[in-house]
Amino acid sequence: MPTGTLIVEAVRQAGLDLNIPCGGQGRCGRCAVLVDNRQAVRSRSELRLSQEDRAAGYVLACQTVLEGDVTVTIPPQERIERRLVTDRIATKVTLPFVYDPKQHQPMQLMALTLDPPSMDDQTDDWSRLKRAMALQHGISELTIDLPTLRKLGTTLREANWMVTAVVELDTWDRPQGPPRLVDVVPGHATNHLWGAAVDVGTTTVSLYLVDLLSGEIAAQAAEYNAQIKRGEDVISRIIYASRNGNLQEMQALVVDTINQILERACGRAGIRPSEVYKMTVAGNSTMIHLLLGLPANSIRLEPFITTINQPPPVQAAELGIAIHPQAHVDCLPGVASYVGADIPAGILGSQMCESKTVALFLDIGTNGEMVLGDCDWLVSCACSAGPAFEGAGVRDGMRATVGAIEEVWINSQTYEPTYRVIPDPKLEAQGQPTPPRGICGSGLISLLAEMFITGVIDKAGNLNFDMGSPRIRRGEHGPEYVVAWGSETAHGRDIAITKVDIDNLIRAKAAIYAGFTVMARSVGTDLSTVERVLVGGSFGQYINVEKAIQIGLLPDLPWEKFHFLGNTALKGALLALLHREFRHHLTTIAQKMTYLELSADNSFYEAFTSALFLPHTDLAHFPSVAEVLAARRNNPISRSVQGGS
Amino acid sequence: MPGIEVPKEKWSGKVREVTLGATAAEGGTRARTVTVGGETTLPFLKFEGEIPHPPAIAIEVRDQPPSDWPALLLQAWDGATQDVAEWAKAAEAAGADLVALRFNASEQLSAPYARQVLRRVLSATGLPLVVFGPGQADWDNEVLVAVAEEGKGERLVLGVCEEKNYRTIVAAALAHGHLVDARAPMDVNLSKQLNILIHDMGLPVERIIMDPTTGALGYGIEYGYSVMERLRIAALQGDSMTQLPMLVTPGEEAWRTKEARAAEGVPAAWGDYVKRAINWEVLTASTLIHSGADIVVLRHPESLRRVRAMINALIG
Repeated sequence: MPTGTLIVEAVRQAGLDLNIPCGGQGRCGRCAVLVDNRQAVRSRSELRLSQEDRAAGYVLACQTVLEGDVTVTIPPQERIERRLVTDRIATKVTLPFVYDPKQHQPMQLMALTLDPPSMDDQTDDWSRLKRAMALQHGISELTIDLPTLRKLGTTLREANWMVTAVVELDTWDRPQGPPRLVDVVPGHATNHLWGAAVDVGTTTVSLYLVDLLSGEIAAQAAEYNAQIKRGEDVISRIIYASRNGNLQEMQALVVDTINQILERACGRAGIRPSEVYKMTVAGNSTMIHLLLGLPANSIRLEPFITTINQPPPVQAAELGIAIHPQAHVDCLPGVASYVGADIPAGILGSQMCESKTVALFLDIGTNGEMVLGDCDWLVSCACSAGPAFEGAGVRDGMRATVGAIEEVWINSQTYEPTYRVIPDPKLEAQGQPTPPRGICGSGLISLLAEMFITGVIDKAGNLNFDMGSPRIRRGEHGPEYVVAWGSETAHGRDIAITKVDIDNLIRAKAAIYAGFTVMARSVGTDLSTVERVLVGGSFGQYINVEKAIQIGLLPDLPWEKFHFLGNTALKGALLALLHREFRHHLTTIAQKMTYLELSADNSFYEAFTSALFLPHTDLAHFPSVAEVLAARRNNPISRSVQGGS
Repeated sequence: MPGIEVPKEKWSGKVREVTLGATAAEGGTRARTVTVGGETTLPFLKFEGEIPHPPAIAIEVRDQPPSDWPALLLQAWDGATQDVAEWAKAAEAAGADLVALRFNASEQLSAPYARQVLRRVLSATGLPLVVFGPGQADWDNEVLVAVAEEGKGERLVLGVCEEKNYRTIVAAALAHGHLVDARAPMDVNLSKQLNILIHDMGLPVERIIMDPTTGALGYGIEYGYSVMERLRIAALQGDSMTQLPMLVTPGEEAWRTKEARAAEGVPAAWGDYVKRAINWEVLTASTLIHSGADIVVLRHPESLRRVRAMINALIG
């Protein structure tokens, strides 16, 4: 390796895998590796390493360059091993219309019987096919691409002039056609016509394999986005991708993931991926940019501009996606840099814009994206909540994988916690409990809520040392609350939440709630007028509404107003795949959605500081939490103040 | 002017009345008490609402003559600054409503010392006291807990409580019948949040005074002014956790500025040093009173006289 090579680069060239969750910014400290000769390396930053780690010879692979011969040992990597709900649970998606492929679907199968050429009829193959198409199906002005043309003659002859044409009548950007011949297959095979709807999430990529003739989902699959190892959140990935040559790698990683689940779903349906003739893709703007191989750096930098919000359909071959090479991959329209195609798709999937009642749509992840509106208006915004709710940026935080504490309860008299861990299936099968390794997002939310309601922390998130609990202590990183003692954990270390973590979580929830407030205020309404809260995204499937309200992450509305819709982006992609009117509607939604850029909004900071409190500075907005607190105040045992100190 | 009606705002809220100090009948030893707050309108707009109590003026005294005060300020007290009891007496004689005792961060400062100083000040003056610690969290807690015990029943104002350090001071105030001064860094929400935190510990709102933090004239006073004004308007609009009287420290702020400290080496246009220095404190204080301050802590006796004259003239 040449001197000056980053260790992470050297490891990759050696063909080994090393996760760099923050994209190589030296922020997360999770790419620590062991070097045997510190003199042979030079580190830019060791901020995230403890004194002991440094003494033991650990350096950050993304921050350290080689300056001589050195042996690098990579510790076991955190396995990307999470619950993939969409891969397991069979989905029944109810369509909001009765599917009629002839009416709704731009992709059509057309059986053709051609007159064989003769000395009397010397018409060329393509004109011959077009003539048959006009006569037998009333289609004129058919177009064809060169790769299809190359195989046309052979196919026609081998099939003895009986073929099935796969025709794309129109696309969203060419609503009047002309129709395009995508493929010619031998014989009159008109039983199935396959399509795929994909949601490229920052974390998970999910796919429905759909029979476009029946509208039914034949199979589905999901997999972690392989880009995760190059950055956990979009910003880290943009930073990574903007470095030399990395954009192609990122493009290839997501394409590989798509191909992997495509193959898996096709295997389940007993078909080949090349039999899939159409794909719709939902995803946030960064994911779509990386998929298309577009530079994403301007998304990250002020004034936050995308290359394109409404990409044209591209042929699969250009992207390397393994469906039929001439099939179109239709990336659905986005609104702005931080309100990508997944949001209009989610709105479409949730049918929020069909209703007269005001609804709030949320998709909470690293970025909280939200839309408020009804059938007449839609306003959207995105707030950067940071990755705290995904378990990052928190000392003992982790993703929702095996060993993650996913729910916590705290006894209001003893302040002792009990918790539930995402089980290891092997241990579970043996009836053994899974020892915890960290806390995931839903665990953090329930922990924060429990600490607040029991008075372990005050409304500002300060730990209450008057409690006399050994779990509340001053640790290496300041005040902390121990959730699991080292004797209970997988790694033998205490799992604790520190004051710094608590502040991070409060900032994250405040950013999201401030988004609601500013958005509601911008249209002169109040959150209490919201009739339905539609929670999309996988986050919504695990979140405990009561806890999320208690910390002031979600507005305090009656439970029946909350609807958890699962992967609305995928459902939106499905609707767009099946029905051209819905695809068109998606563009309309994206266009009519007013985007509020919160960083340019004067009232955001005020709303944010107001929300930097548990549950909020204005308790009046959280009547149910006020009630819980009042009940606690009336319980003398849990009163935290007993005179002087 | 016939035919012109002065427009009046009708506010729904009212600032809470807070009483500082306790007489012998009330369990303390003060000659009199001072009540602030109770306004139902903005400062001095008596035609519009009630202003039952004029803004009160506290004079800051130290347990030891502070080394960082300009000579002008120390000389103004005619040698009384050498002894905290004398200083407190001089403050009362100069017409102060309250004495604000602040402990220097010095080597001799300890809990027993703080008790002794408090006892001397309590016997030297009959005015209610505000007591500030040296300004470092752990030390403040040690000193103020001792002061709270020693001054049991006196309805002292103990300061300052901040979001990062309020529990011990509030607990001491709760246990010994005192008030607290809640200081937040120039932000409406942060002020409100601290008031809530303190109230959550069980201290009645009537025993909390808030200090929204201010800057001196020329040093960000407009920011502090605006925050105080917004707090007061929120209070008058009925937001209960902002309905607390406000205490500010223009003396401390003004006497930190170059304008109040530099006698030499400044442009001639700056004018006479003594006049300028006192003007700086007076203008800072009177500006803050116009934005809703209920208690101003001053340092110079001439400033006290002039701010009092302004209050009397405007209150009518």
